[in-house]
Amino acid sequence: MEKALREKARELLTTGEANVIIGYEWNRRKTRATPAFITKADEVDRLIFNPLCVNNLSIYLTRKNKDILRMGKPAIVAKGCDIKNIVVLISEGQVKREDVVIIGMSCNGVVYKQGLWKGELRPEIMPVKCHNCDVRNPHLTDFVIGDHIDFTPPETPRGMVFDKIAALDAKTPGERWSFWLEEFSRCIKCYACRQACSLCYCERCITEKNVPQWIETSAHQRGNIAWNLVRAMHLAGRCTFCGECERSCPANIKLNLVNQKLVLTVKDAFDFKSGYDEKIHPPMIVFSPDDTENFIK
Amino acid sequence: MKAMYLKKAELGKLISSVQDSGALFVGPVVDAGNVVYKEIGSASELTGDYIIPVTTYKQWVFPQTEVVATFAVTKEGVDLDGVDLDPPDVVVFGARACEAASLASLRSVFTWGEDDEFYTRREDRITVITVGCTAIDDECFCTTVELSPASTTGSDIYLRETTDDEYMAVAVTKKGEAFIKAHHGVFHQKRAAEPELVELKLPEPIKGIKKEKISAWLARTDNYQSELWPRLTRKCFGCGACTFSCPTCHCFDITDEGTAFGGERRKNWDACQFDHFTAHASGHNPRDTQFKRWRNRFMCKFKYYPDKFKTTGCVGCGRCIRVCPVRLDITEVMEEISQISE
Amino acid sequence: MSQENTEETQATETTETFEPKIMAFVCNWCTYAGADLAGTSRMEYRPNVRIIKLPCTGRIDPLFIIKAFENGADGVLVSGCHPGDCHYTAGNYHAKRRWIAFRSLMEFTGIDTRRLQFSWISASEALKWVDLINNVTDEIKALGPFMDFKNLKG
Ligand code: SF4
Ligand code: SF4
Ligand code: SF4
Ligand code: SF4
Ligand code: FES
Repeated sequence: MEKALREKARELLTTGEANVIIGYEWNRRKTRATPAFITKADEVDRLIFNPLCVNNLSIYLTRKNKDILRMGKPAIVAKGCDIKNIVVLISEGQVKREDVVIIGMSCNGVVYKQGLWKGELRPEIMPVKCHNCDVRNPHLTDFVIGDHIDFTPPETPRGMVFDKIAALDAKTPGERWSFWLEEFSRCIKCYACRQACSLCYCERCITEKNVPQWIETSAHQRGNIAWNLVRAMHLAGRCTFCGECERSCPANIKLNLVNQKLVLTVKDAFDFKSGYDEKIHPPMIVFSPDDTENFIK
Repeated sequence: MKAMYLKKAELGKLISSVQDSGALFVGPVVDAGNVVYKEIGSASELTGDYIIPVTTYKQWVFPQTEVVATFAVTKEGVDLDGVDLDPPDVVVFGARACEAASLASLRSVFTWGEDDEFYTRREDRITVITVGCTAIDDECFCTTVELSPASTTGSDIYLRETTDDEYMAVAVTKKGEAFIKAHHGVFHQKRAAEPELVELKLPEPIKGIKKEKISAWLARTDNYQSELWPRLTRKCFGCGACTFSCPTCHCFDITDEGTAFGGERRKNWDACQFDHFTAHASGHNPRDTQFKRWRNRFMCKFKYYPDKFKTTGCVGCGRCIRVCPVRLDITEVMEEISQISE
Repeated sequence: MSQENTEETQATETTETFEPKIMAFVCNWCTYAGADLAGTSRMEYRPNVRIIKLPCTGRIDPLFIIKAFENGADGVLVSGCHPGDCHYTAGNYHAKRRWIAFRSLMEFTGIDTRRLQFSWISASEALKWVDLINNVTDEIKALGPFMDFKNLKG
């Protein structure tokens, strides 16, 4: 697979179809994969692809990373779940389809508990998104690297995140509030969640607007609750559940829960799932006169 | 002062004794899957199974957010009230040698020119009890930056584990001595035979890294524009997790919170990795791309700190490497610079 | 926003004497006009509501609602033109989508949704406005002060 990837990268760079390959390489100790930017054909052998390649590299296609945009036309190594974010970026007018070469990777899953990685994929070390993945064969690509993968995700999504959502839904508001208070109190306002998310591409985040200061930047409960609610809300109908925010959070806050809750809400209410079709407008910028709810008096 | 001993089983007694004296006891606990420093009530909350907590204990000398003044808007004008800080005594148990060395670094910044009493008053009342490392991981590199698990710099009391489930305690500072005296009921002198100490684990110094070479290379101003910076660090997406978990990072922002009628002025952690950190009111931003922000972080640790202060900028705790979502490894940059520097 | 204030509120407000503060975010063209009509028609209703007028429900950022709770509101009411009647054609349809998501998020975080109410009220529905305010006030009064937010450490 790596061989085919490198060959494709070499070809793209040599023909000038792409100026930079955004992919993965080993760190010095060869214990972790880390993002790589390859501009020369003779460096393509640095490229790797394996279950340690967790990063959603679509972050580097956004205007938050201007110096990378300046490197020229990118070809991006992307798993199906990463492509979902590219799809949203295209549908929101952030990236033009023709401005990026998508090298789709067939993928059997990635590893989150990387300390436990012994060279073999096991369900326990894979994130929930992989167990429910319907894009192991990447969906929007210029090229696909790797063999076709036969995998059917469960009809109703399963896993810890979904169990936990159901469990929380069954509780009283008071119990849910204590749960989230505890979670959000740990927030240290580093904004890693925002920086990791390719869909948080605003150059000036609402939390940086200080006349007036809409969201208190202090890492106290009040400021943390406001931040976390607004972050989740700004991703409503857009979040693809790639999990980068939660993975990046140094405080281990269960951001996947809020994100997935809104994914489910949007699915129920508007029959929409983000990340599949770049030609459809995201649900929060359109409407249907037939939208129904049961709470407006 | 001679070495004293403390039974692991009697940590609970130490905690009560500390609490009876009115001080807070802070130690490593497991919280949401991370080992972090937290104020604790009893010994059962403590964990011994950690390399180094993911968070630092600097939050007890330099809190994430703290009120430095309050204001009220009245018809006559604005009433401003300062805060006369009277911090509690804090005992930090289970620190590591690398991190202990960082308090001196923080102090040099917060006493540079003017004393920042919000820092100094807190630091004056903190007692650091370090436990020598008997386990390490790939990311530890204290020995590469001239420290080691055996360093006592910055610790008030230094503990070594013994094979019979005790700690051997050595007071490093007057504060440490006073602490042992104050809690003499918990510490005891050893019986006839010298106890056997659990061996310290030292990370292998990274061969390719030479601190002098890094300093020499950074001293050459043209290297500020080196192609190395974007090449090695453009993958950083500015999440700031490294800065917020670094024991020597010290940047803060002053912000006002409140309503039209009053509120408070706060000192909050800030990070040079944030894109608005150096944004000017005019809209100009001298560090307009992420690699320039990362370069600043590196320069801060390996040039600005050593140039301005005698203290060290990076203590090699490896936290920034472990926490980085793109796995930007500061030692890889150190190594490459050491290699290209002649 | 000082600590003392909060404590005072806690100490003095028992359920009997408690008068909730309710923030209403309303659109200029329908609900505000409806409230105005209630006023000019000298209809009486509970004095607990503070109105903020916005051009359209489409302008109501969920952040306003969070801000209202942060600043001590015990309940929030959001109201605008009936579907189809928006002065800007579709502002309220967009708002509705947003509310569906936001309300679900608030519910999931454990905020009692009885404290966050939505309605459509036209310029001629002064009576509906009066009834709504009275009912919402009673409901929130019964719930007591919104301590979840007031107790947040700042
Ligand atoms: S990454 Fe985590 S700690 Fe940082 S701002 Fe986001 S939620 Fe808070
Ligand atoms: S909010 Fe989190 S899970 Fe959703 S797209 Fe952004 S990084 Fe991915
Ligand atoms: S720069 Fe990294 S390794 Fe050095 S002290 Fe800070 S967190 Fe630790
Ligand atoms: S933790 Fe990594 S990605 Fe985040 S600011 Fe630091 S170096 Fe950049
Ligand atoms: S103008 Fe009333 S909802 Fe748009």
